[in-house]
Amino acid sequence: MNLAICLLLQDDHEITIEELETRYNTSVTKGLTSTFASQVLERDGPNELKPPKGTPEYVKFARQLAGGLQCLMWVAAVICFILPVFMVTSAFSLQLYLAITLISVVVVTGCFGYYQEFKSTNIIASFKNLVPQQAIVIRDGQKNQINAHQLVVGDLVEIKGGDRVPADIRIISGQACKVDNSSLTGESEPQSKTPECTHENPLETKNIAFFSTTCLEGVATGVIINTGDRTIIGRIASLASGVGNEKTPIAIEIEHFVDIIAGLAIFFGFTFFVVAMFIGYAFLEAMIFFMAIVVAYVPEGLLATVTVCLSLTAKRLARKNCVVKNLEAVETLGSTSVICSDKTGTLTQNRMTVAHLWFDNHVHAADTTEDQSGQSFDQSSETWRSLARVASLCNRATFRPDQEGVPIPKRLVVGDASETALLKFTELTVGNIMDYRNRFKKVVEVPFNSTNKFQLSIHELEDPLDLRYLLVMKGAPERILERCSTILIKGQELPLDEQWSEAFQTAYMDLGGLGERVLGFCHIYLNEKEFPRGYAFDPDEMNFTTSGLCFAGLISMIDPPRATVPDAVMKCRTAGIRVVMVTGDHPITARAIAANVGIISEGSETVEDIAQRKRIPVEQVNKRDARACVISGGQLKDMSSEELDDALRNHPEMVFARTSPQQKLIIVESCQRLGSIVAVTGDGVNDSPALKKADIGVAMGIAGSDAAKNAADMILLDDNFASIVTGVEQGRLIFDNLKKSIAYTLTKNIPELTPYLIYITVSVPLPLGCITILFIELATDIFPSVSLAYEKAESDIMHLKPRNPRQHRLVNEALAVYSYFQIGAIQSFAGFTDYFTAMAQEGWYPLLCVGLRSQWENVHLQDVQDSYGQEWTFSQRLYQEYTCYTVFFVSIEICQISDVLIRKTRRLSVFQQGFFRSVKTHPKHASLGIMYLNSQSYSITIYRVNSVSVSFQWWFVPVPYGILIFVYDEIRKLGVRRYPGSWWDQELYY
Amino acid sequence: MASTEDKSANKEITSSWKDSFYNPRTGEVMGRTASSWALILLFYLVFYCFLAGMFALTMWVMLLTLDDYVPKYRDRVPYPGLVIRPNALDMSFNKSDPLKYAEYVQHLETFLRRYNDTEQEKNEDCPRGEYFMQDDTEDMTKKACRFKRGFLSLCSGLSDTNFGYSEGKPCILLKMNRIIGLKPRGDPYINCTVKRDTPIQMQYFPSEGRIDKMYFPYYGKKAHESYVQPLVAVKLLLTKEDYNKELTVECRVEGTDLRNNDERDKFLGRVTFRIKVVE
Repeated sequence: MNLAICLLLQDDHEITIEELETRYNTSVTKGLTSTFASQVLERDGPNELKPPKGTPEYVKFARQLAGGLQCLMWVAAVICFILPVFMVTSAFSLQLYLAITLISVVVVTGCFGYYQEFKSTNIIASFKNLVPQQAIVIRDGQKNQINAHQLVVGDLVEIKGGDRVPADIRIISGQACKVDNSSLTGESEPQSKTPECTHENPLETKNIAFFSTTCLEGVATGVIINTGDRTIIGRIASLASGVGNEKTPIAIEIEHFVDIIAGLAIFFGFTFFVVAMFIGYAFLEAMIFFMAIVVAYVPEGLLATVTVCLSLTAKRLARKNCVVKNLEAVETLGSTSVICSDKTGTLTQNRMTVAHLWFDNHVHAADTTEDQSGQSFDQSSETWRSLARVASLCNRATFRPDQEGVPIPKRLVVGDASETALLKFTELTVGNIMDYRNRFKKVVEVPFNSTNKFQLSIHELEDPLDLRYLLVMKGAPERILERCSTILIKGQELPLDEQWSEAFQTAYMDLGGLGERVLGFCHIYLNEKEFPRGYAFDPDEMNFTTSGLCFAGLISMIDPPRATVPDAVMKCRTAGIRVVMVTGDHPITARAIAANVGIISEGSETVEDIAQRKRIPVEQVNKRDARACVISGGQLKDMSSEELDDALRNHPEMVFARTSPQQKLIIVESCQRLGSIVAVTGDGVNDSPALKKADIGVAMGIAGSDAAKNAADMILLDDNFASIVTGVEQGRLIFDNLKKSIAYTLTKNIPELTPYLIYITVSVPLPLGCITILFIELATDIFPSVSLAYEKAESDIMHLKPRNPRQHRLVNEALAVYSYFQIGAIQSFAGFTDYFTAMAQEGWYPLLCVGLRSQWENVHLQDVQDSYGQEWTFSQRLYQEYTCYTVFFVSIEICQISDVLIRKTRRLSVFQQGFFRSVKTHPKHASLGIMYLNSQSYSITIYRVNSVSVSFQWWFVPVPYGILIFVYDEIRKLGVRRYPGSWWDQELYY
Repeated sequence: MASTEDKSANKEITSSWKDSFYNPRTGEVMGRTASSWALILLFYLVFYCFLAGMFALTMWVMLLTLDDYVPKYRDRVPYPGLVIRPNALDMSFNKSDPLKYAEYVQHLETFLRRYNDTEQEKNEDCPRGEYFMQDDTEDMTKKACRFKRGFLSLCSGLSDTNFGYSEGKPCILLKMNRIIGLKPRGDPYINCTVKRDTPIQMQYFPSEGRIDKMYFPYYGKKAHESYVQPLVAVKLLLTKEDYNKELTVECRVEGTDLRNNDERDKFLGRVTFRIKVVE
């Protein structure tokens, strides 16, 4: 892929300026002519990234209608339409009802899911920066400010510090121009841009500035060589669309579940088809039975339950700053086993901050927390005053105006990252730096350059009577030390002897080893006689003292980790989730941050560390001994995919440094090959392929580019890694709770099916009608099953390993078997007990019922005798049948109350979990009881849908069975808890 | 590349499918070894035996609570239905072709066998016009009132064994469904009408289609073994003009509080049938 990009690139950076001028028909002094520019604009189109071709809305909607469960329901609906063709009786309208209900369930839940997706897409859209970008362009020899999207190839543009580079630009001239390439490469180090071609690879050369990167300081002019989608960033963005989307684990689970359901349905249907044929039904009748059983097996309410559960969690997550783009991603996060995290911005605060100081021969730690809540160091030393003065004065960075109300760490600054860090640091410690600088009037300054590696300035002193000049200098520590002859210790100038030199070296190495950028500071009071007031200092000639200075101290800076991250990483670790750092930064910095946040734990060594400790060559170290491993992009390039897999397998703690976006994709693929469910965080456009490839892509809401947000499944509004951990917790909880919900929902399938089976085989009057079934599935049972989504975790889910997607299924055999053949069976018995009771008490003894069907259903028989010799008309019998439906319905509901209680836990006793703990969190659950009481009045109102009011005592007939369910499940849980790993545990724990 | 991957994946799937039925390496059938199957089946045997036991127990208890003579609830049959004999709502026959109506005649003959004098002589001759109440008798077995076949006179099948079918003036018997404890108020009688403008002549037996109150209340199959329902026969006196036409006849129980106009139940206290006599 890397190659492909390179081939696409031109040699614009290698040719001479003259060739460039002819190629683009432009001039490096006057720019394009306006007329030609408008022609080119017409030809190439505006300079903007075309939004990635989104999936058309109707396809999105159609996708909502075509999941595994949805397909099952479509099939059932079609069967319902076909069935009446074979049937002559009045059941026609019933089948039609059923089909319509099935279809409307699919469509309604589809709309719901679509709405959810639509809503989160809107949240994402609101992030888009609507302010049009401006650019300074030279056309017809005149400087103009125009909208950046009107720029064309060949335009001569000017960029200065603070601007976003408006297109890919070949630099013609520039002064101290530095560009932040982090949105392209993820590297936070500023890159200087100069007119010279330094590398044949356009990505590496210094004379090309890329679209969407930010110019930090300096000015430059350049000729635009690419615009819009033809820019590097545009091409990377289009790469993302080439990466296939992985199926979410929950989709796989649901497919697996549909397989089970379909298998069982066909098994049952076929069995009873054979039985029916055997009993002597006609083939066509048996076929109808077969299809009816298949339809009866479809859990109509499940789809609604799953959708509602997922969207509830999505809502909960949104409150915790995670916006979920597609509902299924919620669960994916829960099964995540590897998180590939960015460093800059996600793990760190994305701002250079002073971390350590070395003066008075001590390393002092500065406060690096985001809100300055940490401890400060001892500031009483005289040396500190001098060091602070140097740091304040030898600094060109300034605050942007009108920011008095903004907390100092958040203020905008003009200047490079280290100077910004120093400015903010001194502002915090010394206070009011702008004023302070004014008091020490600057006479001359020599800016930093790469040959000197230092920066100095000369100031008048605060005290008007003291006519000496003060020279302050900062720069690379070793260069500073070379120029010093004394060192400040506790405010006293001591000669810089061997001992102090060594102390300096140790401190320098220590700080450097922490991955921090170290600067040295020194000063000198210039001799009043040699340099009297008005002396003409020449910054180029440096006609003043630059050696024999007095060393003040070292200050080191780092982009510090966010405060919440170490905790979050620790949580991941206990939750069995591996955090892999993938960054564009230097290996040393990356490693230091990794160690800081706990990605590399204390005491973990890399192969190199072991080699150094044992004093043996790196090759002789057993790779398995090293827990940690830092791999740089360069090394990664030479590794085969097997080697990468090996590395990932052998070293639990991995850091990838200096990686390119394509390599991020390779790392994700490798993790997936090892069977992990991978979450990837990213913000740059360059991350979008990896985000898409990952099982769950997490984009940053603040720093993230639109492309990244488009490719991601989830967006962290606060860019905080810790939010991912919350997401994982919620994801795991919803997996557990979905399991409970599904177990609850599935159970009643059996008591809904057995009446039909008994009806076929024993020929009793039908105990339960299909409209009543739908009423259970879609009305009374939805709330209880959704209430299970609010259940608290049974144990500390963040202390368990992530689920193995191949072993821990959402719906496993144990769950289906326990629900169907045990709890479902008890419920069926409850239903039949109540049914036979209702029949017997109305005059139809159980034995009479057997084989009664043909008489019972004969429309022409108006005087069928019951056990007491009474004669019943057809309507009266039908009314009695509806009574049976209601009685059976009541039995199922009573048992389901018991069922919802037992489903609250899978392992703990309900008493341990707290009976009504979730009542507080969810008032709907509390209203459950009231709802059941209302069922009586329900049943009257639903007279039209085949139910009738029933005697109150029939409500009590199934109660023993309800108690049995509860007691039996408590026994089951007790066995599971007491004898883990036993036969009982294996067979009965779901 | 991709296709070979797919193929190997497919192979895996098929082999795992085969394994899931019978895995020769572990001796597993459908994912379980023989002993594992035995154990789980034993578990389910015990489980279902227990459930069946519980079911049987609850059923037994429930049956114990039932009264042998009167059902616990009678709210589903508050009013009796009205049915006709022969039991066909769409009658059509050729009066000169005995084969066509033999079925109906046969049906009536069988139906009336219980009303033969030999049977009915055993029953009581009850006082007319009042309920035959036996609630206070010690004996659970109740006596039944006599309803002789002869009461139906021309439609009794005694004088005319063809019940008028051969002459084109067919007899239809009407009976009210038995309902335990039913005591119709007033003087119930059956009235039939033809649904067309010109009425036809009808003859009722017993006279005026009366149902005597002495046949109520009914005490149930067990107590009232010899009980027979009162019948009303209606003889349609069809004339030449009525032949070859389909006549819709509606009969209702009148003169009482019994429902005969229920919207849902078209057979509650009324019955509608069609008859077509071909010459």
